[in-house]
Amino acid sequence: MKLLLFLAFAFFSGLSISAGDYKCGSIECYEFSPDTKDKESLQRGLSAYMNYCYGCHSLKYSRYKRVAEDLSIPLDIYEQNLIFDDSKIGDLMHISLKESKAIELLGAKPPDLTLEARLRSPEWVYTYLDTFYEDSSRPYGVNNKVYANVSMPHVLEDIQSELSEEEYDRYIADITNFLTYVSDPSAETRKQLGIYVILFLLIFTAFAYLVYREFKKDLK
Amino acid sequence: MQPKSPPNPIRRQLLTSITSLLGFVGVIFAAIPFLSAFKPSARAEAAGAPVKVNISKLSPGELMTVEWRGMPVFVYKVSNEAQNVLSADKSKLADPNSDQQQQPEYAQNDTRSRKRGIAVVKGVCTHLGCAPKFYPEATSQDFDPNWQGGFFCPCHGSKFDLAGRVYANVPAPTNLEVPPHYFETDSTLVIGSDGAS
Amino acid sequence: MTTDTRTKRFLNWIDFRFPLTEVFERHLSKYPAPTNLNIWYLFGFLLIFVLAMQIITGLWLMMNYTNSAEEAFSSVEYIMRDVEYGWLIRYMHAAGASAFFALIYLHMFRGMMYGSYQKPRELIWLGGWFTYLILMAEGFTGYVLPWGQMSFWAAQVIISLFSSIPIVGEDLATWIRGDYLVSGITLSRLFAFHVVLLPILLIAIVFFHILALHEIGSNNPDGIDVKKHLDEDGVPLDTKPFFPYDISHDIFALGVFLIIFCSVVFFFPTGGGYIIEYVNYEPANPLSTPAHIVPSWYYTPFYAMLRAVDFPLFGLTAKFLGFATMMAAVAIFAVLPWLDRSPVKSIKYKGILSKTFLGIFVVSFFALCYLGMVPPTETKTLLSKIFTLGYFSYFILMPIYTRIEKCKPVPERVAEA
Repeated sequence: MKLLLFLAFAFFSGLSISAGDYKCGSIECYEFSPDTKDKESLQRGLSAYMNYCYGCHSLKYSRYKRVAEDLSIPLDIYEQNLIFDDSKIGDLMHISLKESKAIELLGAKPPDLTLEARLRSPEWVYTYLDTFYEDSSRPYGVNNKVYANVSMPHVLEDIQSELSEEEYDRYIADITNFLTYVSDPSAETRKQLGIYVILFLLIFTAFAYLVYREFKKDLK
Repeated sequence: MQPKSPPNPIRRQLLTSITSLLGFVGVIFAAIPFLSAFKPSARAEAAGAPVKVNISKLSPGELMTVEWRGMPVFVYKVSNEAQNVLSADKSKLADPNSDQQQQPEYAQNDTRSRKRGIAVVKGVCTHLGCAPKFYPEATSQDFDPNWQGGFFCPCHGSKFDLAGRVYANVPAPTNLEVPPHYFETDSTLVIGSDGAS
Repeated sequence: MTTDTRTKRFLNWIDFRFPLTEVFERHLSKYPAPTNLNIWYLFGFLLIFVLAMQIITGLWLMMNYTNSAEEAFSSVEYIMRDVEYGWLIRYMHAAGASAFFALIYLHMFRGMMYGSYQKPRELIWLGGWFTYLILMAEGFTGYVLPWGQMSFWAAQVIISLFSSIPIVGEDLATWIRGDYLVSGITLSRLFAFHVVLLPILLIAIVFFHILALHEIGSNNPDGIDVKKHLDEDGVPLDTKPFFPYDISHDIFALGVFLIIFCSVVFFFPTGGGYIIEYVNYEPANPLSTPAHIVPSWYYTPFYAMLRAVDFPLFGLTAKFLGFATMMAAVAIFAVLPWLDRSPVKSIKYKGILSKTFLGIFVVSFFALCYLGMVPPTETKTLLSKIFTLGYFSYFILMPIYTRIEKCKPVPERVAEA
């Protein structure tokens, strides 16, 4: 039994070592821990996303209404300010850019980003947004340390030049928080519910243990 | 070995009862997500959102079928003469004054409409859910020689007048339901919402 | 008439027509379980619980899932976002699959440790082995359904394995796919297997497994034949009725299991990528393979063996030999009852050789599990080869070492153990 435990330990510690390769392309990911409880940050992230990313990157598995409700934005305000086409509040967040048009303009179809933060990790998204650099050999004059030869322009360039470094870090942190939220919108509910479930199970198991011990007495 | 009599039967009974009760409560809690998952999903809710209809081109006697929440909603104009017929003879109707709550309050009137002259009713027979057929003309029909115009359900022969009121002695128990609706402008009808009052 | 006599009369009415009381007493309330059962004997009960949970959550998922290549991925996100509590049901089903395998491995190991496969329990063991086979098929087919990148490429790789079979391989693989590459057609048939065929087989075999067990009776950690000593009613002296003694133990174990299981479902639903792979959050794309394709952790020991065989032999290709080795590693469990020549059942009374080889088996299994997860290097492939030999040595050498080693005498009664 002890041998088993030792093996299990050795086994999992081995795994964590092997997971240490660069996850963010050519560099280590920057440290970032997403906060999906900070509704103001999520709202800022949403508005930044809608203005700078949503032109090309849909969130097609998510619904406007769910985002509005989860981020505590009144539906009418959301409808007036954050829906740009004739979509209804209950609709999925599709973009109006057609795939063929996108390939013509950008050379590739911009991916849907609903699940990006789960696919790549929040650190990846954050690091990606922070590591655009000038590279005249690329069509848009920029390249990225995380995603080599990315076919996307640095859409936040103007913002980055206007803001101080800390302000820009906060700006992309907001976007990353929002993308983390939208990749797993039930996360907060899940964790809250989980606490009650575990508490209930602890009580149940405690009593089940007492019953087990009670009957065990007979076997002595 | 056979079960033994316990040293402290009350303690044993109490512990077993509490654990069983907790287990029972746990099963009830565990059932909640599974029962909730049967509710209309966000997609169904989105699809059930209010529908806007342009009624400017609707001519009298013409039936417009609008889909709302997956069911047909009938929109049609009722001429003045027809309205007079409606109010003239109520003796054959089961619920002529629309006392049953089959319509929003604003439609509990002679013509069962929010705006006089334009009828909006769900095309779902109150008997077993078939879609009734529209026979607007007051002419003799196979199913009724004294037909005054209205709806006839092909499934089980229920009859309704032009205001969607059910005739007495047919299988359908109540009048056709009037869905919530309002007129955004004279020509724009919104089905599925009472509108901002 | 009191309620009591009324119930009794109702039961009599039923019993006259169907042996309800008899079945209930025989298989549940009065089932005699040895008094010396330990925690290794809890996993069977937990497995039945998990099976029931998988069927219920699966049923609910099926109500909202769409089995077409175009819709499958988005229908899973629909379940996760639009269906109320859909996320919970799906996480339960996904984590349930991992729990199922964790428990069945523990359950199998218990059988290997205490010789539960030995005469007269060969058919119980075979039933269990068949359950494991079906479960592997369930795991694989279920894994394909979300139609993410990992789903697609796992299906592609696993089905391509069949193409290694000489002569008929290529045609066979195409026949299984129903297409020249894994496609929506493949998805549909795997879906049909996952939700209809395999569950029916699984339930039938589990039923057989339990019926056979209740006919023979449970083995125990000492391998004592409890049926040798009966009381005046013909009940073995060293047993206790399932109700209330075993059920109270099982319910407690269920509580502990649920605490662990729910901690995973509510706080680590993707299990760090071991329950739901992150790569699977990208829709299937037949034109681009993800950098690392790894099967789920419960298949990795066999995957490591597949990769370990990188040499042709006797005119057979390495591809086929690897596939054959992998299949053999699973199949060899079936002949275990006939490999063990030991006069005793439990590892407690077997000799040092049996203990050593079981140890080698456990180490090899965990090592291969790890090696199957990481990208191969030269050293790791060499290690995989060594551990593959270790894995098979437990089985192949068993007829020899169980015969030559010296065993301790098995006590007559549990109290003497």
